[in-house]
Amino acid sequence: MNPLVAISIGLREIAAHKFRTCLSMLGIILGVSSLIATMALTRGIEEGTRVFMQQLGGLELVSIANKEPSSRKYEFANLSPGRTLRDAEAIRRSASFISHVSPEINLNTAVATEGGGNPERRVVQGVYPDHFVIGMQEAAAGRFLTPLDIERGSRCAVVGDTVAKNLWPGIPPELIVGKTILIDNRPFEVVGVLALYEMEEQARARRAGKKSTRGFDGFRKKNERVLVPFTTMFHELRSGAFPLDSLETMKLDTLNVRVGDLDYFHPALDQVRAVLDITHRGVDDFDLETRQDWFDRMESSVRATRLSGGLISAISLVVGGIGIMNIMLASISERVREIGIRLAVGARQRDIFWQILIESILVSLLGGLLGILASLGLIEILKTIAPDQNVPVLTPDAILLAVGFAIAAGLLSGLYPSAKASGIDPITALRYE
Amino acid sequence: MSLIHLEGLSKVYRVGDQEIRALDEVNLRIEEGEFIAIIGSSGSGKSTLMHLLGCLDTPTAGRMEICGKDLAKASNDELARVRNREIGFVFQAFNLLPKLDVVSNIALPLIYAGVPSHERLARARKAAADVGLGERLSNRPPQLSGGQCQRVAIARALVNNPRILFGDEPTGNLDSATGRMILETFDALHASGKTIVLVTHDPAIAARSRRVIEIRDGRITREYAP
Repeated sequence: MNPLVAISIGLREIAAHKFRTCLSMLGIILGVSSLIATMALTRGIEEGTRVFMQQLGGLELVSIANKEPSSRKYEFANLSPGRTLRDAEAIRRSASFISHVSPEINLNTAVATEGGGNPERRVVQGVYPDHFVIGMQEAAAGRFLTPLDIERGSRCAVVGDTVAKNLWPGIPPELIVGKTILIDNRPFEVVGVLALYEMEEQARARRAGKKSTRGFDGFRKKNERVLVPFTTMFHELRSGAFPLDSLETMKLDTLNVRVGDLDYFHPALDQVRAVLDITHRGVDDFDLETRQDWFDRMESSVRATRLSGGLISAISLVVGGIGIMNIMLASISERVREIGIRLAVGARQRDIFWQILIESILVSLLGGLLGILASLGLIEILKTIAPDQNVPVLTPDAILLAVGFAIAAGLLSGLYPSAKASGIDPITALRYE
Repeated sequence: MSLIHLEGLSKVYRVGDQEIRALDEVNLRIEEGEFIAIIGSSGSGKSTLMHLLGCLDTPTAGRMEICGKDLAKASNDELARVRNREIGFVFQAFNLLPKLDVVSNIALPLIYAGVPSHERLARARKAAADVGLGERLSNRPPQLSGGQCQRVAIARALVNNPRILFGDEPTGNLDSATGRMILETFDALHASGKTIVLVTHDPAIAARSRRVIEIRDGRITREYAP
C-alpha cells in the first residue's frame, strides 16, 4: 500500500476524532515543549556565561594572585619580593606561550572635573597598553594608552562609561575626549572613553526605556575604571605616598597574563610558574587563577539543569506515548469491522500494521508540532521571568531533537496496537458487531 | 482446468475437548463461467466452505486450488492477493465503510492493489455505472437504501475485475423486490461471463443458478440442476 494513502487514511481518522486525539496528544505536547524549553534555557545559560566571560577576558586570561606561602617555605617568605614589575618583565621575556602581560597598581582617590565638579572616589589604575588587550576593552571614543604614554609618563587617562557619565552628565563620549579630569587634584587629559559594558538583560531593559534594578552587575567595576599610564601613576600619585618604593620593587596590585594559544594553555602556565619561581626566589607566595574552574562549574550546572529538564520531558513523552497507545487500542476495537472489511477486499496484514502505525506516528507528530508552538510561548514566558542575563536561546537542533523524540514515542507506542490490529482474524472481524 | 478444485477439503474447529468437523472431506470442481448456488441450513458448513473459497480462512486438511494455485497452505499475503485480484465478495450485511463515500468504498480494493489514485477514481466510477449507480457517488452508505448499498458492494467486488464473484446471502437483508433486482444483477454478470458462487438457505434463490450444491453436516449431500 502506498504510504501516502496510509497517511491520508490516518489524517481522516484523526480529523474524525479531534477532541479524543487532542487529549491523547497532551503528553507529547508537554514533553516536546518542556524539552525544547529546557534546551533553550540551558543554551541561554551557556551563551550568557560565555559572553560574560569573554568580556571579562575569556579563558585566555590568567591572574597571578598572592597566596600565603606554604608552611614549609614560611621562614623564607621575606626573601620573596612579591609581585613586582620584574615579574612582568621576566614573564614577557621568558614565557613564550604568554602573549600579553598586564601589571597594574591601584589607588583609591578622588576624581573630579576641571574646577572640582562632581567629585567622587574611584579606584584609579596604573596600567600598561597590554591591559586593553587582556581586558578586551573597547573604546567608545578616543584611544587607549600607548607605549609612548608609558615611556613619557604623560598625564593622560582613559575612563569607563560610568565615570564619564557621572563627571560629565549628558555629554557624548566624543566630546569628553580632550577634557581635563582631576585625579587627586592633578589635571589629566582624557584621551579615551571606554564602551559601556552591560549584561544582555540590562541592555534590553535600557532599550525598552526601563531601569534595571535587579541582580548582580558583573561589569560594574569595568565601567567604573579610571586608567592612567603605569609610570605616571607611580611617579605622580604613588611615590609620594610610599617614598621607599622604586618602580622595580613596588608591589603590584594585579598581575594578569594572557595565554597566546589555548592549545598550549598548560605549558603556558608551567612557563609562568617557572619564571615566578625564580623571581620569587623559590617562595610559593603566588597562585595562578584560571577561568577553567569557573567554566567547569558552569558546565556541570548546565549539565545538571539539562539532565533534570530532559528527565521531566522524557517522563512526559513516555506518558504521552502510553496515552497514544491507549487511544490507538480504543480506536482499533472500535474499528474491528473496518479492519475485517479491508482484509476481505485484499489488504495484507502488513497494510493494516502500517496503517495503524502511521496513524499513531501522525498523532505524535501532530502533538510534537503543537508542542513546538507551545514551547515558543513557554520560551516567551521564560524570557520575561528568567532571573539573569541568560536569555533562552531556541536552536533548530533542539526542535529537531524534540520532534525526533515525539516520532519515536509515536512509533514505539504504535507498535503494540499495530501488531494487535494486524493479527485480527478477518472472519471474526466481519461478524463483529 | 477447473477454476476451483477442492479435494478432500476439511475444516476442523476445536472447542475445548470437542472437535467440530465443519467441513468433512469435500470434493468439488467449479468451472469458469458457472453459476453455482451452495445451499444448506444454518450450521451445515456452507459458510465455512464460503470462507475457505473466499480465502478468508485456511483448511485443516485437503487441497484447494483456485485459479490454478494451491492455496491450502498459502501464506497470509498470498491469500490477501487472491482476495484482492481474483475474488469479489458480496456480503449479506453489505460491509461498506460508513465513513467513506460511495466512490471511495468502491475504490477500496484498488488501494491494496497499488493502483494510482486518479486511476482508482476512474475505475470506481465505471464500476458504479456498470451496476446502475450513476448518481449519489458522493453520498455515504448510511444515506443509501439497502438495495443501493448492495449495489455499491457489488461494484466494489467487481472493481478489480475478478474472475469469481461470491455472494453470501446477498439478498438476506433486502425486501423481496430489491432482492430480485440484485439477483438480476447477478444474472447479468453471469451472462457477461463471470463465475458466480451464491451461498443461501433459500431454495427459491438457489433456483436461479445453473447448478445447486446442497450441504449438510459438512458434506455435500446432493448436487442437481434446478
